Amino acid sequence: MSEKLLEIKNLYVTTEKKEILKGINLKINKGEIHVIMGPNGSGKTTTANAILNNPIYKKEKGSIEFNKEDITNLKTDEIARKGIFMSFQQPEEIPGITITNFLKYAKNKTTGKPVKVFEFREELKQYMEELKMDSKNIERSLNVGFSGGEKKKNEILQMLVLNPKLAILDETDSGLDVDAIKTVSKGIEMFKNDENAVIIITHNTKILHSLKVDFVHILVNGKIVKTGTQELAKEIEENGYSKYIEKEC
Amino acid sequence: MKKTEIEEINRNIYNIKNKDEYDYKIKKGLTPEIIEEISNQKHDPKWMREFRKKALQVYNKLELPKWGPDLSELDMNEIATYVRPKSKLNNSWEDVPEDIKNTFDKLGIPEAEKTSLSGVGAQYDSEVVYHSMREELIKQGVIYTDMETAIKEYEDIVKKHFMKCVPVNDHKFVALHGAVWSGGSFVYVPKGVKVDIPLQSYFRLNSPESGQFEHTLIIVEEGASLHFIEGCSAPKYNKINLHAGCVELYVKDNAYLRYSTIENWSKNMLNLNTKKAIVGKNAQVDWISGSFGSKISMLYPMSILNGEGAKTEFTGISFAGKGQNLDNGFKVVHNAPNTSSVVNAKSISKNGGICTYRSSVKINENAENSKSSVSCESLMLDNISKSDTIPVNEIKTDKVEFSHEAKIGKISDKTIFYLMSRGISEEDAKAMIVRGFAYPISKELPVEYAVEMNNLINLELEGAIG
Amino acid sequence: MKELTLNETPVRTAKNYNINDIKIKEIKIPEKIEKFKNVIIKKETDKDTINENSSKLKLSYGIGKELIEQINKNSNNNEKITINSKTNKKIIIQYKLNKENINLIENIEIIAKENTKSNIIIKYESEEDLKYYHNGAIRIKSEENSEVNVTLINYLNKNTYNFLSIENEIENNSKINYNIIDFGGKSSITNFYTNIKGNNAQNNINTIYIGNENQLIDLNYIVELRGEKAKTNIEVQGALKDNAVKHFKGTIDFKKGSKKSKGNENEFCMLLSEKAKLIALPMLLCSEEDVEGNHSSSSRKSRCKPDFLYNE
Repeated sequence: MSEKLLEIKNLYVTTEKKEILKGINLKINKGEIHVIMGPNGSGKTTTANAILNNPIYKKEKGSIEFNKEDITNLKTDEIARKGIFMSFQQPEEIPGITITNFLKYAKNKTTGKPVKVFEFREELKQYMEELKMDSKNIERSLNVGFSGGEKKKNEILQMLVLNPKLAILDETDSGLDVDAIKTVSKGIEMFKNDENAVIIITHNTKILHSLKVDFVHILVNGKIVKTGTQELAKEIEENGYSKYIEKEC
Repeated sequence: MKKTEIEEINRNIYNIKNKDEYDYKIKKGLTPEIIEEISNQKHDPKWMREFRKKALQVYNKLELPKWGPDLSELDMNEIATYVRPKSKLNNSWEDVPEDIKNTFDKLGIPEAEKTSLSGVGAQYDSEVVYHSMREELIKQGVIYTDMETAIKEYEDIVKKHFMKCVPVNDHKFVALHGAVWSGGSFVYVPKGVKVDIPLQSYFRLNSPESGQFEHTLIIVEEGASLHFIEGCSAPKYNKINLHAGCVELYVKDNAYLRYSTIENWSKNMLNLNTKKAIVGKNAQVDWISGSFGSKISMLYPMSILNGEGAKTEFTGISFAGKGQNLDNGFKVVHNAPNTSSVVNAKSISKNGGICTYRSSVKINENAENSKSSVSCESLMLDNISKSDTIPVNEIKTDKVEFSHEAKIGKISDKTIFYLMSRGISEEDAKAMIVRGFAYPISKELPVEYAVEMNNLINLELEGAIG
Repeated sequence: MKELTLNETPVRTAKNYNINDIKIKEIKIPEKIEKFKNVIIKKETDKDTINENSSKLKLSYGIGKELIEQINKNSNNNEKITINSKTNKKIIIQYKLNKENINLIENIEIIAKENTKSNIIIKYESEEDLKYYHNGAIRIKSEENSEVNVTLINYLNKNTYNFLSIENEIENNSKINYNIIDFGGKSSITNFYTNIKGNNAQNNINTIYIGNENQLIDLNYIVELRGEKAKTNIEVQGALKDNAVKHFKGTIDFKKGSKKSKGNENEFCMLLSEKAKLIALPMLLCSEEDVEGNHSSSSRKSRCKPDFLYNE
């Protein structure tokens, strides 16, 4: 039997006094890829932010357990150090901090070990090649002046370097062309093994064409209304969410 | 953990307080007799004696500025304007008295001299105690010495340039400087000579209730180039110390000068310094300025672009913490066609600190086809601090391209969250963002000074945010 | 003959920058002043009221002490407007200076009641080419949830002194928008001050000016943000021809408490002659951390000949 990695129990979350999540339950085992789909505003990004305890999202009820430890109220950096990573929908631009320095620092923090400079550079170079990123970019300021696609690839690069136990990819595929989506799914395949897990948050199904997933959850109006397999994503692709939205109303 | 220890040591470095030992300390105050006595002590030539006397008269006539920080706590009757250290001028560190040498050792000056400088001057209180330059530069005719020696050995050049770029009636503290100046560096780079490795003068004020009034005079002849670095610090005392130095830079046709400063005076210092450059045809002066110390600072380096095609760039950062009022900026006058100026100014205010960017860009009638672009960015780290941007732009010709941009804001919560999601603590995330903010300045500095600046930022941020 | 010192900046800077204030030399301030008769007032709804009971001026800034006193003592036109209508109805006030009405000293007070919306147009014109004198004050208070749209048009001739003090007070969820067309006057001096008191309150200003001949334009705009999530946007654009001189002093002041507020200021000046001059002092003052302030100012020679600007 596979080992439980993350469990969200009956999670209620508000932001700016508005209730977004209304009782989410989700269990993820090591070695699994989960997809959370849903129309705009259904609470997908909120779920990701709540797992990382972004202070602008307030947990009203419920709990989050990671590796048998309650992480509900830990600080974001502590959660990250436990091994959870999130790829941002809109990665922040940070002038004056190069990708190399940033990743070296973050890797040192997440592993708690000193980073060997030479090996680290080689690793970085290799990943960048795989992701078809320009290796000159490593000396550029983090995300500054990057195109949408470059930013998303840079998130995947960070995921590979930091090698978390759980990676949450929030709309990493959105706004990307077919080639870039392929590169991103390649990155996910490189990352994935039996000991870790991935949550892919998306509102379209394109990325699922080039990636095999274990579970698909449909999130509507703050609740998971249906859980299925890859077949469910196909159904959504054909029929949209209307069936589930009506059910809600 | 290790990092914190280093920072602790760093703080102590700047705060090394030697015993207030001196060879001679003039009595406090500002009278014609005291000025006369300074001249006697320094064996001034006649013209300099006269100059000091006149400057004192100008000082007495001029009013305190009616703008900017409040200077009313400055009482010249409580300031000793001349303190001669217990050391003669040496050209070997071995000969510098132990406690003074130790101070400079801890500030890393002799070490930097070995690795990354081609010449060093070190001033302690009112006099320069060490001066040295690499042999090959001496052979090329470069002069780098203290001002006292310069007056004796290069009197004609000094007389021709001394307080001609910064006239004595410029403002009250320039007049004060003219009356009581002592120490500082004289640099002369002959025509066509390129000094690739920087020269550095370091100014240390140890004596309490005193002032430092060093005069820096740099002449870069046609087609020559130089990078000059100025560093300064002092231990903290309870009473006010005063720094009213003067820097005069003559950058002749086709010459290049880069003037870098890391200012880290103690927080009881009033830093009322004046710096000006006269820039010739197709010549360029670049100012790099990091302002971290002082209780009050009023510092506006100025470039006067007199030659056609003259250029200037200013890259500066001010960081004001508790009890600090840093009123800094830049001034430029475009006096000839095709001149250009680029300003990139940043400031950080925290813990009640006040940062003001005050500037003036003047483009005169004859400065056709000139360009000026100014960018200011201010970061507020809390809501008990203050950050003001006060730029005056005066344009007197239509054939000009001028733009000015300013931004004020705080570190965005989103950015902090992004960094924290990568395992970086909130405090480290903020420090990282601030270092990134300061990067355009630190990248212009030689690497050890960039490291020093980043350490200062970490030091300033320690425990203050979170 | 007198010398007036006007439009002092809220923060002083070095005297030799000549921007701390503006001095108007050898000006004759009219003393005997008759009632101003050539004013046309139109309104679209009877819900809004207009009478002559505007209150005495007590300004936070104002253009200058003497001129404010003159309005309090000698105003020859007083308009108190109370907006009650919610439907953005127009009110038009049109002053025409002519040989019977050479001095205009008006005191306009506008109160926009809660939940109202209004559109106010104030126009200053001159008929013959005489030397006129205008010294006015416009105060607007917008109560909660109200919106006031103001258009000010200055078409006075180039022999005339034009002095104007504007003060606004904006309460919660209210908005005052200004469009200012500043074309006239030998010396056209405007003092504009807004206190954004309320939360979610806004003040937007759009100014266009043209200076020609020996005209002097001195604009001193100050917007203070006190409420949370307050917003201001100041756009000032213009062109200078001949020997015209323009001073622009624009201050956005984030006071403590103005959390999550935004302030923007853009100034652009086109220089159309070698002798035209400008001084700009766009200030950002900030005592609150969580705000966004931006300003930009630029000037250059015009790349095309903007004839359209002169088709007055």
